[in-house]
Amino acid sequence: MKGSKILLVDDEVVFTTNMGKLLTNRGYKVTAANSGDAAIQALEKENYDVVVLDLKMPGMDGLATLKEIKKLGLFTETLILTGHGSIDTALEAIKLGAYDYLTKPCEIDDLMGKIEGAWQKKDGAEKKDMKGKMQKVVESPSSIFDLFRKKK
Amino acid sequence: MKKAGQQNGVKGERTEEEWRKGQYAKLYRKFIGITLVCSLVPLLLVGWAINIHYTRFAKTRMTESLKTEVEYHKRIIELFLRERSARLQLIAQTHSKDYLKEMGNLAHVFEVMNQEYGSISDLGVISEEGGHLAYVGPYDLMDKNYSETFWFKNVMERGIFISDMFMGFRKVPHFIIAVIRQDKGEKWILRATVDTEVFRSLVENVRIGKTGEVYLLNEEGIYQTSPRFTGKIMERAAMPLEPYHEGIKIQVVEPDEKKPKANTEIVASAWFREPRWRLVVKQEYSEAFDEVNYANYATLVFLHLSALTILLVAILTARHLVRVIKDRDAEADQLGRQLMEAGKMASLGELSAGVAHEINNPLAIILTERQILLDLLEQTQNMDEGFKKELMESLNQMDVQINRCKRITHNLLRFSRRTRSVIEKIDLNSFLEEVVELMEREARSSGIKFQTELDENLKPVLSDPSQLQQVFLNIITNAIDAHDGKPYGTVRIATRADDEHQKVHIVFADTGSGIPKEILSKIFDPFFTTKTVGKGTGLGLSICYSIMQRLGGSISVKSQVGQGTEFTLTVPYQPPPEVQEGVAAQERV
Repeated sequence: MKGSKILLVDDEVVFTTNMGKLLTNRGYKVTAANSGDAAIQALEKENYDVVVLDLKMPGMDGLATLKEIKKLGLFTETLILTGHGSIDTALEAIKLGAYDYLTKPCEIDDLMGKIEGAWQKKDGAEKKDMKGKMQKVVESPSSIFDLFRKKK
Repeated sequence: MKKAGQQNGVKGERTEEEWRKGQYAKLYRKFIGITLVCSLVPLLLVGWAINIHYTRFAKTRMTESLKTEVEYHKRIIELFLRERSARLQLIAQTHSKDYLKEMGNLAHVFEVMNQEYGSISDLGVISEEGGHLAYVGPYDLMDKNYSETFWFKNVMERGIFISDMFMGFRKVPHFIIAVIRQDKGEKWILRATVDTEVFRSLVENVRIGKTGEVYLLNEEGIYQTSPRFTGKIMERAAMPLEPYHEGIKIQVVEPDEKKPKANTEIVASAWFREPRWRLVVKQEYSEAFDEVNYANYATLVFLHLSALTILLVAILTARHLVRVIKDRDAEADQLGRQLMEAGKMASLGELSAGVAHEINNPLAIILTERQILLDLLEQTQNMDEGFKKELMESLNQMDVQINRCKRITHNLLRFSRRTRSVIEKIDLNSFLEEVVELMEREARSSGIKFQTELDENLKPVLSDPSQLQQVFLNIITNAIDAHDGKPYGTVRIATRADDEHQKVHIVFADTGSGIPKEILSKIFDPFFTTKTVGKGTGLGLSICYSIMQRLGGSISVKSQVGQGTEFTLTVPYQPPPEVQEGVAAQERV
């Protein structure tokens, strides 16, 4: 989906820059973060549709970052992009709630395909949630205040 | 097993093999030596001791029985002589000369004596001067004068006399018993001739075994009875003279050197006091100790048989033991090799994973750079067509090379066991048939035929079909490639169920060029390849190896240059627990 907000997390600055350029060229809104901490900070500040996350990073690594992201309780989907071919780690990431994984190097089209999938999942979940909330509002209009309260 | 080792070339040089052989031979000899020493020495000692003991015991018993024999016969003869003498003395003491002189009286006495005993052949009353006063007997001796005979002189001296055998006037061997009676200053002699038939039968009729004989000798060594074999009565015995002695003497007499045929004899003898006769009981040594000899012989046979049995058992046991040790050694060798291989592979795996990862990241960047260039190219207008074409070619080549690198790193990662397994129930036979069918199409042009020998009793195994397929395809591809330059060949694929070890053996044997000994141990190493650059990565067999390890199986190789190569895979009926756990984890996802 063009216009989706993507957060690229990788310690390789050149990679995030290049990939950022490529994705921007293809209509995405891309933000780069070069460490796990930076990614969490960015997520706390702003909403993203998809996080593209490298597993092997100095400091907070991919899995730890993923756990932190999950703690935030966002609809944002996470896509693992790793040069480390470790299926075990990738599997664990999926267990922790990542959407899918891709191994580096990957074609831009493949990545976009996965991003699309992730976005759809996120979008679906969001819509479902919204629908549920609306239902609630319809059932008890006073609950509309809860929505705002939560947002704060 | 040894052959495999030889072909494998992993075990080492020819010299080591020879050294091993020498060691086994040494071990074999040692086993036999120890067994023989440990069993034969005690056996011989016991046999020897028993033999000595028994011989001594038997000899003692034999000697005792010989002694008894002598004593018994001696007593009989003594009794006989004493009884005759006593009777004669009784008659002499109770009858007067005058009474006996009268014809008829002596005959009456003679009759009464013989009636009871029948062993006196004549009876005579002889005067002091040596002439007969009366005589009863078969000979006409009335006018004989005995005053000059030796017995007459003896009896006059001693009062009683028992003579040796002598021919006398009658020319038949006989002996006499004479007693003297002194009556009113007048001496007369009562003399009886003892029936030699009766007396001799006492001695001569004794039979001891086949070679035994009993006889009497006088002091001069003259036979007093006829011996059974060695001579006749009144002849001189060949035996050397023996001085008088008390008791029974037992001698072993070696044969005379002049008579080589004669045998060693055992001689027991005892002297009588009166007359000075010597009773001899003689038997051939070999017969006397027949029983001992037989026992000795039996012991000897038994010993030899036992020794032979022990030797046989020792040889068989040693051979068996050496074979067991050989097998164990070979097994240990194989295990050692496998361990070494596994260790090598594990460290190589770590290394490969690290390298792959480190390369993947820059590769990803290069890929993005290329994509950026492509994007830029698309955006750029008014570009020289020739330049654009060249640039596109370069970018495409970049893509090709990046993909090549990617393939390598992915293979490396796969080798380092970073792929997941999907465990399914597989019928290996039909699975292999499918693989063969697939490969037959590929190999059609190369003239290679496939031959399958599939074990019908194969049970389905639990394993990863796609990984196994990868291994099978890899090995078959190699097998086909091994026929490069040959117009035709075969690839034989055989399966065999091994219920004992709960696994299936799969053999892939080709008739290709074979693998030289020197490189046989390296074929599972990553990046080891004999193919030209760009044709093979050298990872195929490494991946096969790691896959088989991961699935709990194994892969091994035998090869003979010019004849072909044989890969043997084992696939366990059940995958190892860690793989099963992986499957479970995956199912949870």
